[in-house]
Order: sequence, then C-alpha cells, then structure tokens
Amino acid sequence: MTQIFTVTDLNQRIADRLENDPRLHDLWARGEVSNYLHHRSGHRYFTLKDQGSSISCVLFKGSALSLNFELKDGTNVMVFGDVAVYRPQGRVQLVARGIKQDEGLGFRHLQMEALKKKLAGEGLFAQERKRALPLYPERIGIVTSPQGAALQDVLRTIGTYPARIILSPAQVQGEGAEESIASAILALRGRADVIIVCRGGGSTEDLWCFNSEIVARAIFACDVPVISAVGHETDVTIADYVADMRAATPTAAAKMAVPDVEEIKEGLRSTKVRIMRALWTNLERKEERLEYLKHNVSAKRMYSLARDARQRLDILCQSLDGAQAEKMQSLKSRLELAKGRLTAVGPRATLLRGYAIARSEKGLILQAQDARPGEEIELILGRGRLRCRVLECRDDSEGAL
Amino acid sequence: MKKEEMGLEEALDNLEQIVEVLEEGKMTLEESLDLYEKGMKLVKLCNARLESAQRRIECLTGELPPDLS
Repeated sequence: MTQIFTVTDLNQRIADRLENDPRLHDLWARGEVSNYLHHRSGHRYFTLKDQGSSISCVLFKGSALSLNFELKDGTNVMVFGDVAVYRPQGRVQLVARGIKQDEGLGFRHLQMEALKKKLAGEGLFAQERKRALPLYPERIGIVTSPQGAALQDVLRTIGTYPARIILSPAQVQGEGAEESIASAILALRGRADVIIVCRGGGSTEDLWCFNSEIVARAIFACDVPVISAVGHETDVTIADYVADMRAATPTAAAKMAVPDVEEIKEGLRSTKVRIMRALWTNLERKEERLEYLKHNVSAKRMYSLARDARQRLDILCQSLDGAQAEKMQSLKSRLELAKGRLTAVGPRATLLRGYAIARSEKGLILQAQDARPGEEIELILGRGRLRCRVLECRDDSEGAL
Repeated sequence: MKKEEMGLEEALDNLEQIVEVLEEGKMTLEESLDLYEKGMKLVKLCNARLESAQRRIECLTGELPPDLS
C-alpha cells in the first residue's frame, strides 16, 4: 500500500537518507560564490555555483573563524563539509566546515576559454588578419573612460604629435560595461586612422568586460587597426587577442600609435644635410663636366648657365640660416672658380697670340693692386698655365705697353 | 592636393623621394636646384607642422571633461 507522508516526515526521511550517506560527508565541492550574506548572527550564507547548477551553503559562526581570506561574490572556492537538509524548507544544503580559495580555473575562466576557442575557430585571432599600424596617423581614436588615468597616460605620451584625438567615452567596468565598450568602438568607424582601446589596472573582476564576445566582435569589425591595452603586463584579455596590436599598458599603446616627434625632427635635420650634400656633389660633378666640356662647347653658353645657377644660389642663400648660408657661400665661390675657368676659355684665341690671364684666389688680376707681393698667382697661357709668386706690385699709371 | 593640406606622412614621403633622386645625381644643375628648393620647403613644412602642433581633442558624445580641453 502506498504510504502517505506528512511533509515533516517526508523531509525527515530525505534528511535521514542524505545525512546517513557517508559519501556525502567530509567532501570537497568546487564552485563560485554568489549571493553571499554575512548574517548578523555571524553565520555566513551563500550559493555555490558552476555553469549548470547551484547549491545553498552555510558556514556557521564557529567554522567561519578559520577563514583566512575574504569571502565574496565571484570568488572561486573549494568548500569542505557535509550535505544536510534544512528541514523547515526541505532544502538540501552544504554545511561548510572549511573553505579555501580555489587556485584552479573557475567557472568563468572555463567560459572564457570556451569563448576563446570559438572565436579562434572563426578566425578572429588570425595572425594574417592583423593590420599594420599607420606610420603617421592623423586621427587617433581612443576608447576608454574619460575619467580614467589611462586616458591621461595616453594623452601625455602622444604629447605634441600633431593629430586629431577623438575620444569615444566608454564605461570600462561594472554592469553594462561590455555594451558600452563595444558601441564606443563601433562609433569610431570611419572617424579614425588608428584606435586605442585601453583601461588601467584593476582586479580580474574589473577587467572582465574585455573578455566578452561583444567587445571582441566590435574590435574585429573595426575598419582601422586597433591597439588594445588593458590592465597591466600580466593581464591578457580576449580583446588583446583580437586587436591588431597588444600593448602592455596604455602608455605603451600610445607609443605604438604615434612616432616620436623628436625622432622625426632629428630625421628632418639629417634629411636637410643629405639634401645639401647631394646638391653639393651634383655641383661638383657639373664642375668636372664643365672642365671636360669647356674645350668643346661654346664658352658663352656655359658661362651663362653658371651665371644663372649663381643667381639661383643667391636667392636661396637669402632664405637660409647662418650655417647653411656659409655652406652655400662656399658653393658660390666654387662656382666663381668655375666661372673663372670659363672666362679663360673665352679669350683662348687671344691667349694663343701671346697674352696671359693672371688670376689669384680672389679672382682675375686686372691691375697690380689685385695681387700682393709674395702671393701665389696663376697665369693662364694659350697652352697650359703657370703657378707664379709675385715679387713686386708696381702701379704704372700709363701702363707698360 | 594643395601644399597646405599635405599631411605629415605625404610630406615626409615626398622628402624621402627628393633626397633619393638628388643623391642619385642624374639630373641637370637646373633640376637639382629645383629639387633642392622643393626639399627645403618640405623640411620647413614638416617642421612647421611639428612645431605648431596644438592638441585637438574631440569627444564623440558631446562635452569634454574640462581638464582635458
């Protein structure tokens, strides 16, 4: 015959069954703490849960004395105790006698690993998808909290680099953070050349929103390269895996995003020197060519070329600063020399008749005062030239001839 | 594109090209002076860009916090 129980009897019977089962005594159970309540009485109540299930737990005042860490929601723990039935409610619960922190992977970590696997399978982390950062971005998008220290770090590092900085504010922790970050990222599409998604250090709990699927997909959907910098060196989130670049800190992210202004300036200085040197070398080459050609080509034409170049140099000199001007000055005197040689080509016929052109470093010697006794001068003859030393400078007004 | 609108990257690229051509040295004196002038102008332009850099921060959702502007 079917037995009819009173509720009390039924619960008693269940309790007897469970509480007499030796395998439900002195057991360890692993899970995450939630609904934690530290009751006035000193007892602690919470729910121990994993991905699929949960069980009520109680830690009585006496046993709570042995706790060596702070129990709170989200903590992964190992609970040692016995299964018991709370008879007034017929509730099965775990009466904890000891709790220790679970160093192994908690439920959320398992969940994260699963998500990582899924996204990797879809190719979100693929190395060949990673884009190169622009060398000189003109628009830098930043997704972070406007109040956070991370933003200050990024701005300080970008320094005086000339770019538009577009802040797309996001809530980076707490309820709704995932959606906020994702939409802040998406809002920057078409508005930036590179995007920095960052947040300063915090607890694993605080950084958790960067492990969400929605944030991962938002980063993946970006039309420009994304640099992620979440927490510290040791914190690697799913956002970091999807991003085109991962930076250890917000400061490091900013360093990746923009070139060093001082380095560019240094580069410009050396470019300037290279340009000057190249022009110099070019002039020298032309001069050599001039030397070679002067016997074959109309001196008049070459002369006018040299004169034009000199004028150009004059104009350029006016726009240059001291050191450059000096350099240009010496370019000019070289041209002057080349010109001198050209003038020598002109009257070649005359020279062949027995005349000579006298020349010093300062130029043509037209009168005795142009030279100094002891000075070395050059005499250009119809064929060849002589290096001479001046013995005397006599200024005969009538001329010797 | 007008000179005023030339970005830093474009200016630096052009500059690099000019230096390369100049260093190759296969042009007439006239051309090399032209390039020299162009190059110096670009150097000036880049420097001006870097010097006059005022940080421009915009915020996608309205007002910037006062300490950032």
